Amino acid sequence: MSLSIVPFCFDVLAYSSIFVLVVLGLGVIASMMGIFNFAHGEFVLLGAYTVYLFQSRGLPVWAGMAVAPIAVGVAGLVLERVVIRRFYAAPIVAMLGTYAIGLALRETIRALLNGQFYSVTAPLIGSFSFGEISISQWRTAVIVITAGVMIACYFLLTRTRFGLQMRASLENPALARASGISTRRVYAATFAFGAALAGLAGGLMVPIYAISADMGVPFLIKSFLAVMLGGMGSFEGAIAGAALVGATSAALPWAIKPVVADVVVFIIAVAIVKVRPQGLLSKWRK
Amino acid sequence: MKNDERRTRPLSASRRLFLQRTSLLSGMIALGGGSYLYNAKGAWAADPIKVGIATDLTGAISWGGIPNSQVAKMVIDDINKGGGLLGRPLQMILEDTATNEQLAVTKVRKLVTQDKVDVVFGGITSSMRNAIKDTIVNRGKTLYIYPQLYEGKECTPFLFCTGPTPAQQCDTFIPWLIKNGGKKFYLPSADYVWPHTLNAYARTVITKNGGEVIGEEYFPVDHNEYSATVNKIMSSGVNVVFNTTIPPGVAAFFKQLNEAGFQKKGGRLSCVYYDENALGITPAHEIEGLASCLDYFKAVNDPFGNKLQAEYGKQFGDKNPFTAGSGATGMYRGIRLWEAAVKEAQSVKREPVAKALDHAKISDGPGGGCEMVPGTRHVKMNMYTAVSKGGKYEIVEKSNGPVMPGECGA
Repeated sequence: MSLSIVPFCFDVLAYSSIFVLVVLGLGVIASMMGIFNFAHGEFVLLGAYTVYLFQSRGLPVWAGMAVAPIAVGVAGLVLERVVIRRFYAAPIVAMLGTYAIGLALRETIRALLNGQFYSVTAPLIGSFSFGEISISQWRTAVIVITAGVMIACYFLLTRTRFGLQMRASLENPALARASGISTRRVYAATFAFGAALAGLAGGLMVPIYAISADMGVPFLIKSFLAVMLGGMGSFEGAIAGAALVGATSAALPWAIKPVVADVVVFIIAVAIVKVRPQGLLSKWRK
Repeated sequence: MKNDERRTRPLSASRRLFLQRTSLLSGMIALGGGSYLYNAKGAWAADPIKVGIATDLTGAISWGGIPNSQVAKMVIDDINKGGGLLGRPLQMILEDTATNEQLAVTKVRKLVTQDKVDVVFGGITSSMRNAIKDTIVNRGKTLYIYPQLYEGKECTPFLFCTGPTPAQQCDTFIPWLIKNGGKKFYLPSADYVWPHTLNAYARTVITKNGGEVIGEEYFPVDHNEYSATVNKIMSSGVNVVFNTTIPPGVAAFFKQLNEAGFQKKGGRLSCVYYDENALGITPAHEIEGLASCLDYFKAVNDPFGNKLQAEYGKQFGDKNPFTAGSGATGMYRGIRLWEAAVKEAQSVKREPVAKALDHAKISDGPGGGCEMVPGTRHVKMNMYTAVSKGGKYEIVEKSNGPVMPGECGA
């Protein structure tokens, strides 16, 4: 059994990374704007589709991964300007609105893909071998990139002018506007930023999962769980929540039946929320 | 309303007409729309025979529904070109069941009560078949033909199954896997009826042939993280992975298995729904050596199948290919067997057609001819084992004549 400790740790880390990457964008939008974006899974899908388009046109996959966050960010910006901004006063309606957007995006891409599944070849193929143990190269790259993106996001939110404006607009929109911040622009930029993160997540994970219209769906509910677990209103909380949900989702099937594990993840998360309704890390920053 | 009345009706829309139309339109939108009518070309003296096709043109199973509908269209056009059936043209009424069982029940009810079709073909998943069969067969008193490979045990009267059963996919395949892989099997599966029932049958064939099942494991259908299972497979010396996990998760599973070095260490991957279309789900090198057993592969390279492929490609392109895993070959067989039965019965009425269909036979088809096994409403057919090499299938074994379906008492 000692041989399986390394793959166990690696796989838990790799899956948590993908999960954190997906939740980052959702967490930014949920915590900064108070909107649960049900189209998040489809933003992930759009990112994946961008990479698929690059591959099918014979362009390099890594270039698609670089373009994916920009393309999805722009799409997010357009949606925010056209639809989402009308719903800031009514979060429930906004939630349903994003669900409709997500459904429209998903079915459009399904039609574009003819309902099919297509593989995308990773920029790094194969695995590193250490004796009996093999470690996937692309998953390793995803872990490294996720760590980089997390650090960059942290600095963006805590050390830059834009981050300050974002936090100010969240805490007291009236005062922020009085201080000369255009909250309208900040919200638009925040939403676009969250969408861009989703696009990046989709671009990076498509070589692992293959593209199909439903690829974002399995992540969505667990992502909400992660945000709830981490505590609304805290960016670090969302990451901690994502890491916890991702790690338990990957680790539990090593010990119990996978079908049961799925349920247990939710039970654990709900129990934690009951004990700490304010979220895991809600007091860290304030 | 009579036809001439309809013609003289004023064109300006009254409020009632407006309300009727908007309610009809909203009803159509609510139902998902997606009804298509294909009439036979040319002038026909006789009333058409109505053929209902209910399949998933949209939604998660559209990869299977689209080729099913296209094959149906191709065969029905071909029958019409040859003078129709009993001197009557075939009219195809296609309903999109949208991978949604509740919606599908409404759609097939329309087919049997409103359109009064003479036969219904369709359904891809077992849950779909189970949802619509009662409406068609019992309440609708209509013949139903189900085209997809499935878990067996469907013995409803007037319901004929034209896709392969577990016996057909395991009886020749598992001995081959033991010979060309090894004795230790692992059965990773999605948690729904097809994998459960197929695995139960596969297990008996494995044991009977001296093999051993090391593990049988079920995952939620949308599962996408398989590291624990991959580790169990790698650490227990498994020779053959008999996979029934499904897309999209299957892509992640095959990738993790490949990256862990399963094939490099001599392991044999197998999956009985994997056809040419499924090869696109994963990069070719990750499934090098994957074995599958189906009623048809392009690689069978039979003249009749090649002719069908050429015609299909000409009409519909290559985006949704004509393959066995989507039930498209079962759809072909189903319509041709039904055609033979109608000719023999000289009627489209349900009872005489069912009686003739019970022993219907066709001499040609994709992968060869086939025939109904009397009293079972299942088809005996040739089965082929193929192995993926560099992203293409190569046929490695052909069944010794047609394989019995092993269902409903035969």
